[in-house]
Parts: sequence; structure tokens; C-alpha cells
Amino acid sequence: MVLSQKLHEAFKGTVERMTNPRTVSAFKEKGVLSISEFILAGDNLVSKCPTWSWESGEPSKRKSYLPSEKQFLITRNVPCLRRAASVEEEYEAAGGEVLLDNDDNDGWLATHGKPKGNKCDEEENLPSMETLEISKNNTIQSISSYFGGEEEEDIPDMAEYEEPDNLIETDPATLQSTYLVAHEPDDDNILRTRTYDVSITYDKYYQTPRVWLTGYDESRMLLQRELVLEDVSQDHARKTVTIEDHPHLPGKHASVHPCRHGAVMKKIIDVLMSRGVEPEVDKYLFLFLKFVASVIPTIEYDYTMDFDLGSSSI
Amino acid sequence: MSKLQQPTMTGNENATVLQFAPFQSAVDEGFWHRLSSLKLNKFGIDESPIPITGFYAPCSHSQVSNHLTLLAESLPPEPSEQSLVTMSSRGNRNKCSIPGILYNTNTLEGFHALDKQSLLKAEAEKVWEDIHSGKAEEDSAVLSRFLLISFADLKKWSFHYWFAFPALVLDPPATLVYLRPASQWLSLEEAESLSAACNEWRSSSATTDVPFFLVSIAPNSHATIKHLKDWESCQHDGHKFLFGFYDPCHLPNNPGWPLRNLLALICSRWTLEKVYFFCYRENRGFAGLSLSLIGEALISVSQGWKDHQHMPNAVGWEFNRGKKVPRCISLAKSMDPTRLAISAA
Repeated sequence: MVLSQKLHEAFKGTVERMTNPRTVSAFKEKGVLSISEFILAGDNLVSKCPTWSWESGEPSKRKSYLPSEKQFLITRNVPCLRRAASVEEEYEAAGGEVLLDNDDNDGWLATHGKPKGNKCDEEENLPSMETLEISKNNTIQSISSYFGGEEEEDIPDMAEYEEPDNLIETDPATLQSTYLVAHEPDDDNILRTRTYDVSITYDKYYQTPRVWLTGYDESRMLLQRELVLEDVSQDHARKTVTIEDHPHLPGKHASVHPCRHGAVMKKIIDVLMSRGVEPEVDKYLFLFLKFVASVIPTIEYDYTMDFDLGSSSI
Repeated sequence: MSKLQQPTMTGNENATVLQFAPFQSAVDEGFWHRLSSLKLNKFGIDESPIPITGFYAPCSHSQVSNHLTLLAESLPPEPSEQSLVTMSSRGNRNKCSIPGILYNTNTLEGFHALDKQSLLKAEAEKVWEDIHSGKAEEDSAVLSRFLLISFADLKKWSFHYWFAFPALVLDPPATLVYLRPASQWLSLEEAESLSAACNEWRSSSATTDVPFFLVSIAPNSHATIKHLKDWESCQHDGHKFLFGFYDPCHLPNNPGWPLRNLLALICSRWTLEKVYFFCYRENRGFAGLSLSLIGEALISVSQGWKDHQHMPNAVGWEFNRGKKVPRCISLAKSMDPTRLAISAA
């Protein structure tokens, strides 16, 4: 963590301690949520998309301004069958349209590709957190590098301890397969089948929801955090997506930084209203997750529901 | 892939052995954090087994199986947090609680020296006892009991572990007559009624985490879901009758692991030879009858098998990438105070 980020965290923490949570709605004016609106929108998400649940998380990390049983939202074991980079390559190869509304380059409706011509402009508008020094190498890395790399040289080779055949059982009723993986777009690379736990917390400072990702490889071993960035749109991978302490769970997790969420949501709400759709605050998370899908295009979490957004283009 | 999913032909020319997709484990980082803390602050060098809770849910995606998941809350609360734990932090529809037991050793040598066969047998015996005492019909989650052995290396922040999902082995194995998507086996009216009944079962807090159940379909296509203990009272002539379970598996040609002990219960308690089973799976959190499977299996166990005194064989140690080896995960990056200090500087 670089100094500037630490300073910002300290500042943010102080402000959070000293300010009261938002109680007056500024949903339409600023694209932000009050605590009670977050609960309302979360309840609606859980009821329409029951793969999402409320959880209480670590007791020691509990936030007093949220109900103890509704601290954050989570959906587990969400498939991610291919890497975001490969989707983008295909998309670019197909010469796809990119930004629906390119005037000020917010990119909130960006589909999965990256614009070819105005790359520089876009980069300036994406907030940079300057925290991740990830190599540009986007190739799929061997998972064993996480467990067998230089730093972990002390871990013994498990093969030394392989059990004699009589322990595991030659049982004709056990389906024998190396591991049970999903069908792949191409069958060549088994490492592509990952799953994610996706959680949504309330960020008191920015007054918006915040998305967190915990990745697992095809045998459900924890994915090295840096590899998570392969599943993030490459425009965001080193900028808006950072790796920080989760507010309700142990350890560090990848997160879409919320500093622009309010502005992006405000823009979405403005577009809806200009089309004559009156946005309702309990639908906030559906709109929000739709927007987040542009950041993590290949993680197939559920945010679908039947409601009229006024246009099929969103 | 397709080769793996084909049931194999063994022995009898016409009999296809019913093959079950093994349960898979998934351990959340929070579990290891809390285990480390408990080991340091509470357990010390005490190696007594610890009751833990695992969580699973029906498969909810056509391409990915669900797992038996361990979270921080799978372990007892830390002493300092006891007062903060609320009852509501237990199961919900996406986290059906399954009882398990953890043997955490003090040394790596101790971990490898554990008598794995005896430990598996001991857990399987609990399942066998619960079947014969009737407890499994009252609280069906005990049918999916699991076992975890581990060694937490708190000097290197690495964790060695191995799961077992004990399954009682039918001898000879059950044979499969057919297995097909529930939506094909049922009439349209039956499928609609069963969908509605399943969604109601899953949305009620009283039943949402009950992973085994009975399905009865009346001649007028009306489906009802009952608890296992109601077996006697829902035997009606002319009704279709299915044994249902939350299936964590996504494969189209195999039921998941929990069906094994349900079949053991069925043939021990109710001595049925022909069983219709219902592998309940979901699509985006709602009953998905084209992903769910209905099958017919034949059970013809030897007479001695049903004898309470003669516990059948048990299998179930988890494979790690196809091998009979434990797993190991290093969490030094998120737990080692030295590394955390460096990365924060």
C-alpha cells in the first residue's frame, strides 16, 4: 500500500467516525444511498435474486449503523468461465461499438471492449489508485505458482505423502474424474473455470455500495489476488480495481473502488429520467450491478429482474 | 468430458452402476483466520476433535457444481466474540448447515499419522446409527456429515487439510434404470406444480435448509413436498413418489454425493428395491426442472447389509486434482505480520 493510499484511508476513517450516516435521500440528486435505502435495495435484491443473501460477517468488524444480520450482501460460487482479457480481444477483433455515451468519457455504459482511438482520454478519466504494480503479463498462470513459488519453498511436496491405494477405495459407484469442471468455451485450458464470491458492502464515506471479489481456481483453492485482475476489464484492472481489507471479512480482497460510483449512478439515473422512467431507489442495486458488469464482464452473478428501464439499450 | 459422464458397465451385462459425483470442498479464507486465532487463544495444544458446521446449497448454475463450504462461522466463536454472535448468523437458503468434525493436529507428522480409515469409519458409523435410530428422518442434514483433518502451521501460515464425505457403500451397488431431466419425466402440469412446491419449500425459513425431502404427485398432477419422517403417511395408491435431495452437482448424467446415504436410509428403513429419486437443482435461485434430474434406481443389497450390527463399508476421502493427497494453502500473504508490515510500508 503506498503512502498516498494510507493517508487517504486514515482521512476516510476519521471522516467516517465523525460524520453521521446519511439519512436524507440524495438518490436522484447525487446517485448515492442512505443506510436505510441500502437496506431497502438489498432486501429487494435478495428477494428477486435469491442467490444473494444478507450476512453478518466477522462479529468484530460489525458496523453499528447497519442491522447485525444485514451487514453486507454476498453471492457465492459464481462461475467465471473465461478471462476478461480474452473477451476484450474478441470484442475488439469484431470491431465492436464501445461507449454508448462518449461525450465525457465516463465509460459507465462501456461494454466489454476498450476504445481504440481515445485510449489516452479515457485513462485520464479513470481514477488511478496507483496501488497495484501488476505486470502487464495477462497470460493465464499456473495455479501451482501460488503454492510452489519461491516464497513458499517450505511447503512439502504432497506427492511424498500420497496414500497407499487401499485408503481410497476402488468403489464402482464413485464417479471417477480428475475434477469436475464446467464445459469450456475451448477445451484446451482447464484453468479457465474459476468461481467467485461476490459481495456488496455499504461504503459510508462515499455513500454508495461497493463490490468485492474473492476468486477460486477450478479446484476451489483460493485464487492469488493478482490473478483476480485477469477477470476484470483491462481498463479497470490497475486503476479502479484495488486490493484492500474487506470491511466485514478477514483478509484482503479485490474491490471496485467506489470513488466514482455516485457520479456514474447519477448519470444512469439521469439517462433513465430523460427517457421518462422514474427510477425507484429499491432498484438501485440492479442498476448498480448492471454497471459493475462492465468492470467484471465474465463473472456471471445474477442481477436480472423484470422491470422496465425505459429502454432495451441499458 | 463426455467419457467421464458415461456410467460404466460392470458385472451384469444389462446393469449400469449408479455413479455419484463426489462432493467437493471449498474453504473460505476466514475459516483459517479463525482457526489460527482459536488455536493460539483457546485450544492451545489440545487436539480434541472440534464440532464444526459446513454449508451447501443446491446447484444453481448449469455449468458449475456447488461445494461444501467452510466459513469463519463454521467454527465456534472466539472467546472475545461470543456475546456478539446472533442466532441469525447461522444457515439460510444459500447456506444449509451440515454437521462436521475437525481433527486439527499439532504437527505435520501428527497430521500424516492420523488413521484416516478409522476416522472415516467413525463418522460413517454416526450416519449408520442416525439412520437406525430414526434421527436421520427428523434431522436429515446428519446424512451428509463430513470430516476434516488439518494441520495449521502458524509459523509459516500454511494449512494442510483433507476432507472426507463419508458415504455408506451399497453392496452390490445400486443400478440405474434411467436418469433424465425432471422436466422430461414430468408432465407439464406436474412440473409446474412441483416447481411451485419446491420454491415454496425453499422460501420458507422452516424448510429452506432441509436438504432431503419427499415428493408426492397426485393423479391430478398436484405435487406436495413432505419431510422424510412423514414417509408412512404419504404412501397413497396412484401417487408418483420421489425421494428428493438438494443436489450440489451440475452434471447431466450423474446425481451428486448426498444421494448415497439417502439410498442407504431408504433400503435400511423402508426396504424398497425400486427407488425414484429427484436431484433438485436451481436456476438463478429458483427451481430449475430442466437442470434437476429424476432417475430410477434398483437396490438389491445382500441380507446382511441391513443388519444394524454390521456396518457397511464407507468411502469418501476427497481427491485433490485426481490424487489421493491432502491439500495445502499458504496464507502468509494475508496473515504473516512481517509480510503485512512490509506491504503496508
